[in-house]
Amino acid sequence: MNHQLLELAQWIESLPWSTGIHESYYMYNWIESTHVLSLSLFLGMLFFIDFRMLGLVLTTVPATKIAERLHTPMMIGFAVMIVTGLLLYFAVPVRVTQSIWFRIKFLLLVLAGINAWYFNRRMRNSADSWDKQDRAPRPLRVSVTLSLTLWAGVITTGRLIAYDWYDCYRVQSEFIAWAAGCMAD
Amino acid sequence: MELLGYFEWMEASLLGTIGKTYGGVYAIAQSLHLMSLVVLGGAVVVTDLRLLNVLLKDVSSETVADQAHSWFKVALFSVIATGVFMAAAVALRLYYNQFFWAKMISLFAGVLFVFLIKRPLLNSAPHAQLSPLSVRIVALASLAVWSTVAATGRWIGFS
Repeated sequence: MNHQLLELAQWIESLPWSTGIHESYYMYNWIESTHVLSLSLFLGMLFFIDFRMLGLVLTTVPATKIAERLHTPMMIGFAVMIVTGLLLYFAVPVRVTQSIWFRIKFLLLVLAGINAWYFNRRMRNSADSWDKQDRAPRPLRVSVTLSLTLWAGVITTGRLIAYDWYDCYRVQSEFIAWAAGCMAD
Repeated sequence: MELLGYFEWMEASLLGTIGKTYGGVYAIAQSLHLMSLVVLGGAVVVTDLRLLNVLLKDVSSETVADQAHSWFKVALFSVIATGVFMAAAVALRLYYNQFFWAKMISLFAGVLFVFLIKRPLLNSAPHAQLSPLSVRIVALASLAVWSTVAATGRWIGFS
């Protein structure tokens, strides 16, 4: 699996536009700035929805109304964030593929997606009974707290990708080398 | 010259030393800074899109603006606190970084704008009685200034 991932990353890195993004000062930086701005839009909306479920904001407005109305800008932010995130990956694919932080971030993204699916399903099925209350029922609040924790983890691991503490070129423990997918040259 | 001395003092301070010595602590501060920025961005976007009649049209704009402003203040405090910690570790480098100064100017402008123009305007009368054009200009200016703060902050790391 690690071998195939590395081969794919090396193939992407050999493409002219991967090098183009990586070596273009303005292009790379604008993509990264757009990534941060879209992340702020997406997570800003998500945090507001989550805060409403926890009874921390706009408690006089039905919770599902907040969730529905903020859904569109949130998904616009999400779409731009994913596209710019992919472009950032394509710019530096080999190093990122072998980054333990990127791997943890990817795992957290998957878990956040599963949690969001569970939350939405549960919210739609039960909203009639609590929609106008200050706080969502306990199972939903647990899901919301998990959502906030997972996204905080995504932000943190995303930020940590920039650090080379556990990069494969350094001497690493067996566990780190395995988790990061380091391959012998 | 005086300002440079202040930046030298900052880098030599305990905060600067901690930030420089413990990379993990610095990285966590960066993450907290980003999370605070996300909450601040959410508060700004929800308020301004409501003022522009794009979002939550069936919820009173007074309610949205007031409640979002509470979170804006919390996030702003956190952005500044984590920002000061981060700046202390690389103070001298920042002193010579033009994007840092662009961010400081836009942040200063943003804070003045919110507390001297936007909030006084929104608190001056029920929103329905305010000039729609003024409200729209304020909302667009707010989105522009805070986007600039976020973008210039990211560019500090590139130069």
